Amino acid sequence: MGRARKVFFRRRKVCKFCADKIDYIDYKDVKLLQQFIPERSKILPRRISGTCANHQRPLQQAIKRARHLALIPFTTD
Amino acid sequence: MRTYELMFVVDPRVSDEDVVTMTQEYRNMITSGGSTITAEENWGRRKLAYTINKLNEGKYVLFYVSSENGKTTLPEVEHRMRQNEKILRYLTVRTDEDLKRAARRQPAAGTTPAPTGEETAPAAETGPNQEEV
Repeated sequence: MGRARKVFFRRRKVCKFCADKIDYIDYKDVKLLQQFIPERSKILPRRISGTCANHQRPLQQAIKRARHLALIPFTTD
Repeated sequence: MRTYELMFVVDPRVSDEDVVTMTQEYRNMITSGGSTITAEENWGRRKLAYTINKLNEGKYVLFYVSSENGKTTLPEVEHRMRQNEKILRYLTVRTDEDLKRAARRQPAAGTTPAPTGEETAPAAETGPNQEEV
């Protein structure tokens, strides 16, 4: 029932930090941050990851801090 | 009260003992400035995500500092680290405001990173040990 024409459903994206109730995004948590840096080591945009704006900001900060300390790469060569 | 995290990366060719004396020096600098070190972590040898000064590894040390009146010697410590060639990277982060904000958003569960002074002792590397600056 309902939508017969639109066959595919887009999965609703939820902010990982809201869902997991992570409020302090630690730059030392490499495992967590790595989920937001794909192959080219760029920061995954909100549009893709679904992270809310309130969490994307500290996430971005954390990634940049971790990069400075060489915990995660700036880029992959 | 202000809390800080000070993390730095030491040249892996520096022996573990020298890293200890080095951290001791910085520890003294911090505590003599009136702040306390609440916890300390030694991550030991760790692979760097990218090459720094043609090195692919580094030894990570982390201080959790807390200061009652907001006065610290951290700028001086940073200054010393900048001059020390054996320190590849350092980063000081003020954490109290962010942690407070996180605690407010989540009053019950404490997901704040528990600073435990865990000691990792990797195999001692014997390299050209040099005096600290």
